[in-house]
Amino acid sequence: MRVEYINPFVESAYSVIQEVLGVEVKRGDLYLKSTSMPVMGVAAIVGLAGDVEGRVLFDMSKETAIKIANGMLASMDMEPIVTLNDMGRATITELANMITGQAVTKLHDLGFTFDLTPPAIFTGDNMEVSDPGVEALIVPMDIPQGRVEVNVAVRERA
Amino acid sequence: MQTQPGNSVESLAGRTIRNGRSGQSTEQDRVEHIDFKMVTFSLGGKDYGIDIMKVAEIAKFRNFTYVPNTPDFVRGVYNLRGDIISIIDLRKLFNLSHDDQTQGEACDGLIIRLEENMLGVIVDSIARVVGISRNSIQPPHPIFADVNLKYIEGVVEYNDRLYIILDVERIFAREERKADDQPVFDDTRRTGEAMEQTKYALAEEHAQPLQAAPEATGVDPALSFEFIRDTLSTFAGFYVSPVNENWVRQRYEDWSRDRRDESRDVQFESAEDAQAFLSPFYSPDTGRFWSQEYCRRIRSLLPESQPTTFFVWNAGCAGGYESYSLAVVLVSKFGEARIKIWAHDKDLMQVSSAPNLVFQANTLPPEFREYTVTGTNGSSFSSEIKDRIVFEYHDVLHSNSLPAVDMVLARDLLSFLDASEQAVFLENAAEKLKSGGIIVVGEHERLDDSSLFEAVQSELSGVYQLR
Repeated sequence: MRVEYINPFVESAYSVIQEVLGVEVKRGDLYLKSTSMPVMGVAAIVGLAGDVEGRVLFDMSKETAIKIANGMLASMDMEPIVTLNDMGRATITELANMITGQAVTKLHDLGFTFDLTPPAIFTGDNMEVSDPGVEALIVPMDIPQGRVEVNVAVRERA
Repeated sequence: MQTQPGNSVESLAGRTIRNGRSGQSTEQDRVEHIDFKMVTFSLGGKDYGIDIMKVAEIAKFRNFTYVPNTPDFVRGVYNLRGDIISIIDLRKLFNLSHDDQTQGEACDGLIIRLEENMLGVIVDSIARVVGISRNSIQPPHPIFADVNLKYIEGVVEYNDRLYIILDVERIFAREERKADDQPVFDDTRRTGEAMEQTKYALAEEHAQPLQAAPEATGVDPALSFEFIRDTLSTFAGFYVSPVNENWVRQRYEDWSRDRRDESRDVQFESAEDAQAFLSPFYSPDTGRFWSQEYCRRIRSLLPESQPTTFFVWNAGCAGGYESYSLAVVLVSKFGEARIKIWAHDKDLMQVSSAPNLVFQANTLPPEFREYTVTGTNGSSFSSEIKDRIVFEYHDVLHSNSLPAVDMVLARDLLSFLDASEQAVFLENAAEKLKSGGIIVVGEHERLDDSSLFEAVQSELSGVYQLR
C-alpha cells in the first residue's frame, strides 16, 4: 500500500475514536496481511473508489461493539442497548463512516481523490474475510471497551 | 516476521528486533545474548541437545568392532584415527524403540568428551547446532519420563520445538557405576582384554588426548561454521543458502583468521558481531546515493534503443536511496519514456520516510544535482524524479498488483529470506518480468543458473535475465 495512504487512516481512526468515546486509545504496531483472516464478530465495511479501489473494514467483537455503541449513545443522552439491535448497528456503521470520511478528506488535501460507498455491517460467528491479490494493512487499536482492528486494503487502479 | 532486508546496514539490526517474525518476539528477547550452544539430535522422535563443549565432533560410525558379553547398549569399539573408543547406543540406553540398522550401515553419532575420557554415542539423526541463552533453559518437567529426570540438565524451547538437554557427565558416570555393580560383567571383563576397552571406567586407561580434537576452540570447525550459519539468521535475519554460501564460506575464513589474531572467539557474541561479519556483504552504495561509477554500470545494463515505457520493481527499497538513484539514471537515459518505479519495503519506518527524503545537495554526485530543488530544510528531488517513484508499504512475499516490469532491482534481498520465501519471491519476480527483463540481485548473491533466470555477462555481478 502506498505509504502516503497509511497515515490518514491511522490518524483518523485514532482521533475519531478518542473524540467520540472520550477514552484513551492505545495503538498497536501496524502490520501487513495477505491471507484470509478471521473476523471477531462484528465487521463494518466501507468501500473506496476513485484513484484507487479497495475497502476499509472495522473489526471488533460483539461485546466491544455493544460497549462502543453505548458509549456513543450516552454522549447523545440516548438509551443504552443490551443486544446489538438496529440502533447498535447503525451506531457502529456511523463510527466507520466518520473515520473513513475523515481519512478521505485528509487524502483529498494531499491530492488523492477517493470516494466512499455507503457502509455495510456484518455480524456472526466464525467469519473470515479474504481479498485475493490484495494486501491489507492492519491498524490495531486498544481501548477500554476492547480491541478494534482497522483493516485497510487499497490498491492503485491499474 | 520475515524481515525484509532493506539496504541500509544500520537499519538491519534494529529492524530484525522490531519486526520480529511472528511468534518470535519473545524468543528474540531471549536470544539477545547467546551463551549456551548445543548440538541437537533426535532420539525416538523427540529432540535432544548436548552442550557443544562436551561434543568433540559429529561423526558417522561405520565398521565398529562388536565386543561380546557387554551390556546391549554398548555397540562395540571404534577406531577413531588410532584411538579406540567405546560406542554407546543412546536409544538402547534409554530403552527407546528404534529400527535396528542393518550391519555395515553408517550410523549418525557424536563423539563426546567427558572429563576423563571420550566416547561415541549413536543417535537417530543429528539435527544442527542451536544457540540459546542459558536464561531460557527451564528445569525438566516430569512429563519427559523417557529419560530419567536426573540426567536432564533442562529443557529449552527454540523455534517452536522443545529440546531436552542431556547432562552427559551424569549419564555416563552412572553407567560406570551400574556396570561395576553387575557381577556378570565383573567376571567376564577381567578375563578378556577386549572387554576392558568397552568399559568406561577402564577406558580411562586408554584415554589420551585426541589429536583430532582442536583443543584451541574445543569445537569441530565444521560445527563452528554451522553455528555461524545459525547465528546469522538469529542475529541478523540473514539466511545462508546457495544464493550466498560461497561468499559466506570465504568470509568465514577471513573472519576466523582475523578473530584469532585478535584472540577473540570466532563465534558471534552479539548482533554487532553478526553485522560486522556481514558488513562487506552489502552491494556498493547501500544506504546512500549511488556513486558516479555505480550509476555508469547500471546504465550499461539498460537497452540502447529508447523504450516508450520503462517499469521497475524495486523490492526491499529501505529508505529509498537506491530508488532515487535508479530514477535519476533512468530519467537521464530515457527522458522521454514513461518511467515508473514501484519501491517496496516492509519496514514501515524506513519506507514511510522515503517519499520525503531530504539531504544536503553538496553531498550528491554531480549528475544528481540538476534533478533537485532546495527548500528550507535542505534539498529534495524535483517532481520530475519524485513522480516516477511510488513508495509502498508492502511485503514482497505477498501478491501485488504491479504491471509487467522491465527490471527487478532486489539487491541483498534474497539473503534475508529463507529458502521457501526465496522461491516465492523469485517466482513472483519471474511472473512480473517482461520477456528478456532483467533482475539485479546483490553484488555477492548468485542465482542458480538452472532456475528461472540465466546469468548476464556485464560489468556488474548479480545480473540475471528471465529465461
